[in-house]
Amino acid sequence: MPRISPVTGHYVTVDVDDVQYKVFYLENGTGQPLLCQHTAGCHNHQWRGLLEDEEITADHRVIAYDLPRHGKSDPPENTEWWKEEYQLTAEHYTKFIVALCDELELEQPIFMGSSFGGNVALQLALRYPERFRAVIPVEAADYSPGFYLDWWQHPHANAAQVCASGVWDLMAPQSPEADRWKTWFYYSQGSEAFKGDLYFYSVDHDLRDKLDQIDGDRCPVVMLTGTYDYLTTPEDGRRTAGQIRNGEFIEMEDIGHFPMSENHEVFRRYLLQALDRIGSRAGAQA
Amino acid sequence: MTAATTTPTVEEWVRSFTDASDRDPEIQAHGKYFTCGYLLDMADHHFVVRMTSGKVAELAIDPGPLDVGYQFAIRAGAETWRGFGTEVPAPMFHGIWAATFRRDMKLEGDVLVLMQNLRCITRQIELLRTVGVPV
Repeated sequence: MPRISPVTGHYVTVDVDDVQYKVFYLENGTGQPLLCQHTAGCHNHQWRGLLEDEEITADHRVIAYDLPRHGKSDPPENTEWWKEEYQLTAEHYTKFIVALCDELELEQPIFMGSSFGGNVALQLALRYPERFRAVIPVEAADYSPGFYLDWWQHPHANAAQVCASGVWDLMAPQSPEADRWKTWFYYSQGSEAFKGDLYFYSVDHDLRDKLDQIDGDRCPVVMLTGTYDYLTTPEDGRRTAGQIRNGEFIEMEDIGHFPMSENHEVFRRYLLQALDRIGSRAGAQA
Repeated sequence: MTAATTTPTVEEWVRSFTDASDRDPEIQAHGKYFTCGYLLDMADHHFVVRMTSGKVAELAIDPGPLDVGYQFAIRAGAETWRGFGTEVPAPMFHGIWAATFRRDMKLEGDVLVLMQNLRCITRQIELLRTVGVPV
C-alpha cells in the first residue's frame, strides 16, 4: 500500500482590494473549520503535525494556508510587486484572511495563528468579531517591537542563514532536535518575505490602547504562550489576555515561539485545552 | 559528554571548548568559511576566540586591552553565562538572542561579522551546555 497522507493541497484565487492572489492551502479533517496561519517568513508546513492529528481532525477541518509571498503562494498576480518594498499592514492582512474565508465559504471558522499570526488573530477579533467562532492567538501580544531589522535582508550576509539561525533561540532546548531543524530549514526559505512580515509584527501592530474594544464574548479569545518565547513572553500574553473581555490565557511549559512546528506533541495538549474552552470538540460544552 | 557539574578552571575550559568545537559535526560540516575573531566577555574572565575555517586557531585567556584583535563582542555577567553553561538552560539563558532581548547580554562591535557567521556561532555557544563555563 502506498503511504499517502490524508492531507491534500489546493489552490484558490482570492481578491483583496485590487490585488489578486493565488493561494495554496493544505487541509485535512471534517467539522468545525480551524484556519491556521504560519509565522512570519515561514509557510504552512509548520502545521504538519496538526494536519495529521487524528484526534483533532476527527471533528475539525484543519486548513493551513500559505500567506501570499510564502511557501507555494506567489506574490500578487496582477501587480508589479517587484517595484515596491513589501510591508504587510494589519488592514491588508485582516482583509486577506476574511476574503480567504469568503472564497472557501467557511462558516464561523476558528482562527489560529502563531507569532505574527497570533497578533493578526487579535486584530481579527477586534475588526471582524462576527466572522469567527473564536480566535486562538499563539505567541502573541498587544505589541511586539524590536524585530523589524535590516539584518534579515542585509546583502553582505547570508540572508537564509541569518533568518534561520536568527530565530533558532525562539525555540526551546527541550523540543525535538529534528523538529527544530525542520523549522530552521523552513526559515532558510523565506528571507524575502520575513522582513516585510515583521513590519506588521513589530511596527503596524499595536493594540495597547485597543484591547478593551475586543469583545471576547462575541469572539472568544484563548491565548497560548510558551515559556521559552523571548519576543512575547508569558507575561506579555497574560497581560494582553487580561485586558480583553473574558480573554483567556494558557501558559505552555518548555516550549517556544513556534510550538506547532518545534514540538506538536507538547503543543497539542494545550491546544486541546483551548478547543475545550471554545467548545468545538465533539461532546464538549460551549 | 554531560554538562559540567563543577566550574572548570580556565585552562580546563579552554581545552574542552576547543576540543568540542573542533570535533563538532555541525561546525565541521558547515564551517568552511567560519573565519573571524570575537570576544567572550564573562565578567570574571574574558576570552578572544579566533576561528579559521571552522577550527579554533587561538583562544586567548584574559588578554590585555590591546593584546588581541577581534571583530565583535558577546558580553554578559557571570550569572547569565552560568545559565548558558547548563545542560538544559532555563528560559532566556538558551541563546544569545534570547539573552540579549531579556537578560544583560550585549552584542557589540561589527555585528555584521556575527551575522555572517551566525549559524556556526549559534552552535558554538550551545557547546557551553556540555562544556560548562569557567565563571
